[in-house]
Amino acid sequence: MAMLVADHVTKDFGGLRANHDICFSMEKGELLGLIGPNGAGKTTLFNCLSGLHPITSGRIIFNGKDITRLKAHEVARQGLARTFQVYTASGDLNVRENVMVGCFMNTSSRSRAASRADKMLAFLRLTELADYLVSELPVAAQKRVTMATALGSDPKLLLLDEVAAGLNPNEIEDILSDIKHIHYELGVTVMLIEHVMELVMKISDRVIVLDSGEKIAEGDPGQIARNPAVIKAYLGERYVKEHSGELA
Amino acid sequence: MEALKNALDFSDFPRIDLTVAGLVLIFLLAFPVLGFSSFAMATMIQFLMFSLYGMGWNTIGGYGGQVDLGKAQYVGIGAYTTAVMLIRWDIPFWVSMPVGVCLAVGWSFIIGYPLFRLKGHYFAIATIATSLVLKDLFEVWNFVGAARGLEISPIKFHPPDFLHLIFKEDVYYFYILLGFFLLGIFYINWFRKSRLGFQLRCIKDNEDVARSLGINVHWAKIKTYAIATSFVSVVGSFHACYIKNIEPEDTMSLTISILIALMAMLGGAGSLWGPIIGAGILIPLKSYLKEWLGATVGLVGIDIIIYALIIMLVSAFEPRGVWGIIEKLRRRKRN
Repeated sequence: MAMLVADHVTKDFGGLRANHDICFSMEKGELLGLIGPNGAGKTTLFNCLSGLHPITSGRIIFNGKDITRLKAHEVARQGLARTFQVYTASGDLNVRENVMVGCFMNTSSRSRAASRADKMLAFLRLTELADYLVSELPVAAQKRVTMATALGSDPKLLLLDEVAAGLNPNEIEDILSDIKHIHYELGVTVMLIEHVMELVMKISDRVIVLDSGEKIAEGDPGQIARNPAVIKAYLGERYVKEHSGELA
Repeated sequence: MEALKNALDFSDFPRIDLTVAGLVLIFLLAFPVLGFSSFAMATMIQFLMFSLYGMGWNTIGGYGGQVDLGKAQYVGIGAYTTAVMLIRWDIPFWVSMPVGVCLAVGWSFIIGYPLFRLKGHYFAIATIATSLVLKDLFEVWNFVGAARGLEISPIKFHPPDFLHLIFKEDVYYFYILLGFFLLGIFYINWFRKSRLGFQLRCIKDNEDVARSLGINVHWAKIKTYAIATSFVSVVGSFHACYIKNIEPEDTMSLTISILIALMAMLGGAGSLWGPIIGAGILIPLKSYLKEWLGATVGLVGIDIIIYALIIMLVSAFEPRGVWGIIEKLRRRKRN
């Protein structure tokens, strides 16, 4: 049985159709990449899946349960966690406390939340930074905090929204191995939005491509890299025409 | 059990904080025998009352970041419940106080449910409006004495009356209030470490992040609003027995609401000691300014100008108040 099914998901903002008739499904244990040019509707799709935006039409099934009409916090309690592209922390919570908020989803005991948080901090190499405010950390560490916080809630499926954006090549290598750890050691199914192609292509089992709110391609990373529709979306129609000989 | 341990555990504060807190506590315990004037005693009682108001406000306003400027309505509900029950049916404070809390919390649910659909300034304005509407209702409600208010006559009691909380000397009121004050500190010390406390601080940071971590944002705010309301209502009940003469104008006015928020904001919203520091600065200032300047012609209302200045300075320079400055200095030292 598929873990997550998006069944003809459409999302309108007033007159703007941000997601149009998107269908896909993912299996438990899969690592699925979601790519597309800016404004393709990737983050909107994440917001729809995680319940932050009510969808205009279609259905979303998670672990066999229809979560289309559930509110964001109810979706989270089903075991679907996510990170955010821009994490605006006002600076009230330090790193450990941030992660504890996630851990408090499944327990009301402070000591249990704290011990789980410490595990997550160690897992994402954050133990030494635990007492700093999130705003005091470099971007790479902030991204790890968002992942640790989401993992604190013990999710079955984790949606990662551009965790590699703004990182240097070394940091990208590190976060790549972090995502692999999350996937293999914690057994969490992962779906990720990413602009850094070397990262997506390297770790995804399968890639979905969005353009202007529609799904234009789906397949393993090798197929996607050669798909004319994808190349057109990224490089424009003219490029495809001029280089049609090389691409074939 | 764990909750009790958390309430009594202050070990995450540096030793210097605990030393200062200990010295302040000793000073408070010994205050009545130090031979201060009765004016100083009255100021001290005001300080304790406003510390408690501020602690209550701090749960929703400080930790939760929801600027609530309508707390006076709950002072009114607490005070009027106790006064009406005492005057009409001779019901003791220890019964009427919890009844007042129930009524206040009930009312807070009724208005909190729609109010928390609003955010930011709109929420703040709406809280002011509900508070003023309730005050206007009380001003025309004959059962509670309308605009004249209610007066508890101490004649039919035999002070010291611990059941009805009717005393001749302020020292009794002082120690009872000090008990509430300490309970309040223990409660907030638990609250800030509890699941709800963490959820609220996350909501203040970013509501969408909070939702995605399984937090029912609307319900968490309503629950916390009820906690804040309980604090205010308890002190409101005490206020009725202490002042013995309550009218809508001085229990439920906008000035009271603003003062309550100001305690926490000046001292440090979202910190355990903030409201106490705020009250410790503002209440003596308020009392003594009134004493020294208020009577001079042309200087009436100068205290209100000073509150306004403080609000502007705090929001311009350090939104987290005095405690924010202390934390910033500490952080700089450590890094």
